[in-house]
Amino acid sequence: MKRIAALLAKELLEIRQSPGLFVPAIFTGAMSLALPFFITVLVPYATGERLADSSDLQIAIEMYAKQPGVRQLEPEAAIQAWVLQQFLVLLVLSPVAASMSVAAYSVVGEKQARTLEPLLATPITTFELLAGKVLAALLPALLLAFACFGAYVGLSAALAEPGVVAILFAWRSLAIVFLLGPLAALTALQLAVLVSSRVNDARSAQQIGALIILPIAALLVAQVIGRIELTMPVILAMAGGLAAANAALLRIGVGLFDREAILTRWR
Amino acid sequence: MLSALHLGRRFGPRVAVDDLSFELARGEIFALLGPNGAGKTTTLRMLAGLIAPTAGEVRLHGETMKPATAGRLRASVGFLTEAPGLWDRLTVADNLRVYARLHGRDSADGAVDAALDVFDIRDRAGERPPQLSKGLRQRVALARTLLHDPAIVLLDEPTSGLDPESARSVRALILRLRDDRRAVMLSTHNLDEVERVANRVAVVRTKLVALDTPAALRARLFDARVRIVVARDAAQHAEAIRTMGLHDVRVDGSDISVGMRDRAMSVPALVRRLVEAGADIEAVIPEEPPLEDVYLKLLEGGESPES
Repeated sequence: MKRIAALLAKELLEIRQSPGLFVPAIFTGAMSLALPFFITVLVPYATGERLADSSDLQIAIEMYAKQPGVRQLEPEAAIQAWVLQQFLVLLVLSPVAASMSVAAYSVVGEKQARTLEPLLATPITTFELLAGKVLAALLPALLLAFACFGAYVGLSAALAEPGVVAILFAWRSLAIVFLLGPLAALTALQLAVLVSSRVNDARSAQQIGALIILPIAALLVAQVIGRIELTMPVILAMAGGLAAANAALLRIGVGLFDREAILTRWR
Repeated sequence: MLSALHLGRRFGPRVAVDDLSFELARGEIFALLGPNGAGKTTTLRMLAGLIAPTAGEVRLHGETMKPATAGRLRASVGFLTEAPGLWDRLTVADNLRVYARLHGRDSADGAVDAALDVFDIRDRAGERPPQLSKGLRQRVALARTLLHDPAIVLLDEPTSGLDPESARSVRALILRLRDDRRAVMLSTHNLDEVERVANRVAVVRTKLVALDTPAALRARLFDARVRIVVARDAAQHAEAIRTMGLHDVRVDGSDISVGMRDRAMSVPALVRRLVEAGADIEAVIPEEPPLEDVYLKLLEGGESPES
């Protein structure tokens, strides 16, 4: 644990020296934050048309109205809550997608800077090395995601119809933010670090790592078109799957980390 | 303390190191010499437990280095890699602090403080590696290598690319390691450096070509010679020397170079005889071929790797 903490402290210190690394994450988080309010608040305000009056959204309202928590909401509040719920997944995971560059660069970057060999010459184990690298990418991403959620709730309280904030504070939303989000982030970042330990240039790692945006986008689309509904049982099942995937990835990552190949074949 | 026993390493079909055996003792500086691609870095990496041998074994304090033990055994080895490998975004002190923690030092700050003093880099503690000269970066890297007080120190080309002043300062630090009774192995192309610091030399070219002290290697390959400087033309004395039974005599102006291989006469006796023959001797200088000649001759082949 001490060595993980030492490596983590080093990584965070490096990140602090290069705040620009998280500019894409902050930008993506801000965009994810702004987009749902643009749809639910700004557009109706600018056009003078309520979302609840739009025929395009009637099916969504009817589907959503079946949920016990929203039955008492006004139609406009219900549609706002629906939109804000849909975007919650994007909001929570987008900073993670953006912090992929940190994870993707983690091992290959050390190799390119020729700092990996002295590091490997210490008693650090492969597990400790990978854990330090993953946590260094995960913690800032989670911090940003939680901050975004806080801002999301704050903006909802200030701008959305009465009753919407309570929906965002429901167990379902909290489970998405504090359980599903971190587990999905851990999976994504573990994958990125694993890729980083297998490729021999940072660009490849970043490009492969960027593919992680695809399942996030797929989940969002599936939710919006009604193919999947993130109910509590679904969230818990997904969390279980992600936890298992994380455990498997940890073993695979340690197994695939080939110190010898990294030292002798990478140029 | 550290032993290589019939050490070998293949990378696919390519043999990088073949049947290398030696021991490294406490208080010794052992130089690994060889051309590029001779397997020096691979040997050091195997000794440091970074890569596993495909033949033979490395023993540290009598324990065999295996994947299962390498992590623990690495704790008693300090490995200075060919590149300093410092984190550019961290200050010198932070670079050292991270390594002190990775090595599990109880007081990381105390260890860093001591290293800053020992390596005379305290005034640069707050600077980042790109702000330092190459020599200072190497000094920081050496400080990092020794943070955990290792008994065995492996140095891969420690003065490569340094200016003479920086190289001298690094050499002084290496000599200090020997004085501290550490076992030091260094890989280098710098024969002058080997001459100055090494107790023993192993010349390798995939296999061990030769292993001995520099003086013994020299004696094994070259005859002892002495140069005598006389006041006037030396040619008149050459014949006198030959009549003494020394036939390898070369004259150049006022210099006479005499091969002492036959040991027909000792240097003091030779000098005495020359004085008796009327020579005004100004200097007597033992002639030693540079280590470069020894090295090149060894690589030309024909020498067996006995110690």
